[in-house]
Amino acid sequence: MASIKGSRKRGVALHLVLVVGLLISVFPFYWAVIMSTHASTEIFSYPPKLLPGSHFAENVRHLFDNVDFFGSMANSLLVAGTVTFLVLFFDSLAAFVFAKFRFPGRRFLFALMMAIFMVPAQLQAIPQFVIMAKLGWIGSMTALVVPAAANAFGIFWMRQYMRSAIHDELLDASKLDGAGFLRQYWHVALPVVRPGLAFLGIFTFMGQWNDYAWPLIALTDPHNVTLQVALSQLNGVHGTTDYGMVMTGALLALLPLLAVFAIGAKQIIGDLGKGAIR
Amino acid sequence: MRLSRRGLLRAGLAGTAATALGGLATGCAVPTGSTGRNMVLWYWSGGLSPKVVQNAKARYDDSMNLQAIQIGGYYRSKLMTTMTGRAHIPDIAGLKGEDMASYLPNSDQFVDLRTLGAARYRDKYLPWKWDQGIAPDGSMVGFPIDCGPVAHYYQPAVFEKAGLPHEPADVSAELDTWEKFFAAGEQLKKRLPGTFILTDALSVFGISVNQSTRRYVDEDRHFIGDQEHVRTAWDRAVEATRRGLVSKIVNGTPDNISATERGLLPSQLNASWAAGDIKLNTPRTKGKWRVAQCPGGPSNIGGSFLSITKACREPERAFELITWMLDAENQAQGFVDSVLFPSTPASYGMSELREPDAFFGGQITMDVFGPAARKIPVAFNSPYDIALGTPISDELRNFSVLGKDPDKAWKDAMSSCRRIADHVGVSY
Amino acid sequence: MATAPVVETHPAPLAAAPAPHPKKGVLSHWRLYAAISPFYLLFLAFGLIPVGFSLYLSFHRWDGLGAMEYAGLSQYRYLLADGQFWSSIGNTVVIWALATFPMIFLAMVTAVMLNSAVRFKNVYRFAFFLPNVTSIVAVAIIFGSVFSTNFGLVNALLQAVGLDQVAWLNTPWGIKVAIATLMTWQWTGYNAIIFLAGLQTIPGELYEAARMDGAGPVQTFFRITLPLLRPVLLFVLVISTVTGLQSFSEPQVLLQTTDNNSSFAGGPGHAGQTMVLYFFQQTFDNNDFGYGAAVAWGIFLVVVLFSIVNWRLVQRRGED
Repeated sequence: MASIKGSRKRGVALHLVLVVGLLISVFPFYWAVIMSTHASTEIFSYPPKLLPGSHFAENVRHLFDNVDFFGSMANSLLVAGTVTFLVLFFDSLAAFVFAKFRFPGRRFLFALMMAIFMVPAQLQAIPQFVIMAKLGWIGSMTALVVPAAANAFGIFWMRQYMRSAIHDELLDASKLDGAGFLRQYWHVALPVVRPGLAFLGIFTFMGQWNDYAWPLIALTDPHNVTLQVALSQLNGVHGTTDYGMVMTGALLALLPLLAVFAIGAKQIIGDLGKGAIR
Repeated sequence: MRLSRRGLLRAGLAGTAATALGGLATGCAVPTGSTGRNMVLWYWSGGLSPKVVQNAKARYDDSMNLQAIQIGGYYRSKLMTTMTGRAHIPDIAGLKGEDMASYLPNSDQFVDLRTLGAARYRDKYLPWKWDQGIAPDGSMVGFPIDCGPVAHYYQPAVFEKAGLPHEPADVSAELDTWEKFFAAGEQLKKRLPGTFILTDALSVFGISVNQSTRRYVDEDRHFIGDQEHVRTAWDRAVEATRRGLVSKIVNGTPDNISATERGLLPSQLNASWAAGDIKLNTPRTKGKWRVAQCPGGPSNIGGSFLSITKACREPERAFELITWMLDAENQAQGFVDSVLFPSTPASYGMSELREPDAFFGGQITMDVFGPAARKIPVAFNSPYDIALGTPISDELRNFSVLGKDPDKAWKDAMSSCRRIADHVGVSY
Repeated sequence: MATAPVVETHPAPLAAAPAPHPKKGVLSHWRLYAAISPFYLLFLAFGLIPVGFSLYLSFHRWDGLGAMEYAGLSQYRYLLADGQFWSSIGNTVVIWALATFPMIFLAMVTAVMLNSAVRFKNVYRFAFFLPNVTSIVAVAIIFGSVFSTNFGLVNALLQAVGLDQVAWLNTPWGIKVAIATLMTWQWTGYNAIIFLAGLQTIPGELYEAARMDGAGPVQTFFRITLPLLRPVLLFVLVISTVTGLQSFSEPQVLLQTTDNNSSFAGGPGHAGQTMVLYFFQQTFDNNDFGYGAAVAWGIFLVVVLFSIVNWRLVQRRGED
């Protein structure tokens, strides 16, 4: 009896803490929703508006008048989807090698990759633009997809994840069964690291979806851009920005991300015991 | 689920194919670049009147296919990337006023508008604005879009309560010097405690420098930021702070908006386009504002240009287009649509610009901005002005916000400037 | 220490794998090289030239459009003597430390709480993900409000417990705390999701065995969860270092309204100017691309240095 009471108390305390965290996490998002339902002139008044307004439909109409929302969203889906697929494949394959095999140059190649990862990316726009222009890729989605197809972040993550998730006995056993390298990767490694892949997939998709600095430079045709580039065109100068519309665009652009998260996150939290060894 | 090596290869190929398809699918839509008919114009949201752009498209439909593109994000870096990369350069490019100093030394990237007969249009534009589009080598890079004459925005009800002049004409006449403006600030503060005539000290400094005909670096690449005109502006900002005329409120916070709505910050020295910001940030103050002349004389903040790049195949057509888009009538339209203050004095008398503005209690604000715009002092804009002006305003902020000793702050600013001047090759 | 049989008896999952072909030559590993090649090929194709270009640039003066002018080592000499660059390193490290340690702690706690069987798991998980995707415009406005002097939530709380108001966005420490708070808010949920994925790899039997041994939740955490989470913790720490030391968007959005002439200045006294913001200011405000490149290489060295230190701290001896 006492212990049940105790654990219930602990449960209530747990939820109390989590609810506080939830409120802190959600409030700015809630406020973004509020902004998207008001006219631009109502947004900055003080005290701030805390309840939704009635301007949402009009903001949406303005948004659709000003940008090709669905066209650019289709481009974003194409880019983010393709990149995510390629990254999951290339990164997990490379990570499997770094995590579970020894071969000459392993430490050097891994250190090199980490060093490349640490080079600040900000100065690279001009030469990258020149390369892409020579290849004739400027203006097309290829310029966004190909350079992003494998990255150090994902390889590092999957390597760390595989080190603890893939047990050597499994690999040894599969080897005794005569499995080659690719079979081991596909049948032994991948099924075990699904939560890790889910994380990588969600955040690769998200990073590509929200990326904006390079697409802005690489995409030259205004009728053929990604969503974030299209939305960036809405920011005006000095008092001409329609914040209600901008916020509506930002919110609508978020919906696919939330969907991807909802799907992918199921992999990340499973039940205890459904983990590595079965 | 069994998977052979071939199966895996297929999966990989599917990915590659998707990529290639993506490239192909979008590849078809890419314009082949600037042909004779295509005329690509880059600008930014709010940089040109949408209606004028639309009309231009229709008007020149026979001779060209005008593609007016709004570029989001950091405009200058995108334009410079394409120019340096020598690919996909627009035919016509908008140039922001604050970036002009960095474009002008590279005038070889642009068509010299003098060669297209720009001289014919010269007398229709504000002379100082026209000169700002001309490079040191004499070639004309930028054709004037708008400008940003500075005015004194104030709330008459508060001024009246403090016993200050409150009709626009009286404020313009009686607060015409900085000294009188500061005296009014003191009276305001004494009669209505908690009320400040200035939000921050930096605006005093910035506007004072802009009222002069010199800035930080002269034509001979010599540092002049240690001279009288800058020192006067500095001392003026220090004086305003010391006399307690400057609030401690941070711009753009709820504190700022609330204080403005409650009449605790009843005054702002700012450019014509700031009217849009005031309307957006404090809509509830509608009718409570008026506009008067800025103390200490006219000055300017912002304003931009159109240019024709060397990549343009038909500069004559492009020039015809921009001179039409920026004529007096279309500039009046730009003011109505996007608060772009015309650089064509002929616009100032047009009926659209002489509409009473309800936000300013029915005042015809052109009566203030128009005369100010004509009398703006011309200063040489050096590409090194930003690098060498920043340490001075940084140190001024260290004094006004963080309470640093002003003499020490000035000395530190000068030693930073000496170091930077040496580094960028400006003589000190 | 003496009574920690749980981990010891279980086959240690971190042990390095036995080499499949320890004695064969390089060529026999071609499958492995092929499998890791895409990253390196992409770097050769698209990364090497930009990196080389920025190195070349750092030995020149360039305004971004005109002709380049050879400058030898002068950009680096200037960098070493540039007080503002050094103070930007200090700012970055302070902000990074103020944000990273609370963030990792909170993320770990959140992950463990979510992993213990609670109801509404999906709701919480979704909510904690939101800060990472909320529009930065809305975030900037909210945090500007939260830290504003007269109407800010933080100052209201301070006053409620009898303390004085703090002009957060107008004092050097206040600025750093505000930026670090914003970063913690934005990235705690993200890191919690990483830890959750890591917790998934810990077999349930281990917890059962621990419970049988009479270990409490705290003991279980330190004896089982933390050791087994070490690779993931190392990942989080290294990533937080690399991204945290290259942060710029948080200070930029939070302080843009306080900066009159540059959105890269980092507030009064440059108190919130991180290394990358300084890079932006030099490159894009001042048009000094050559010096900007030298600054970028300076940033690279700082990041590498910190990453190595972190790696050494977390990694056990005998592993790479």
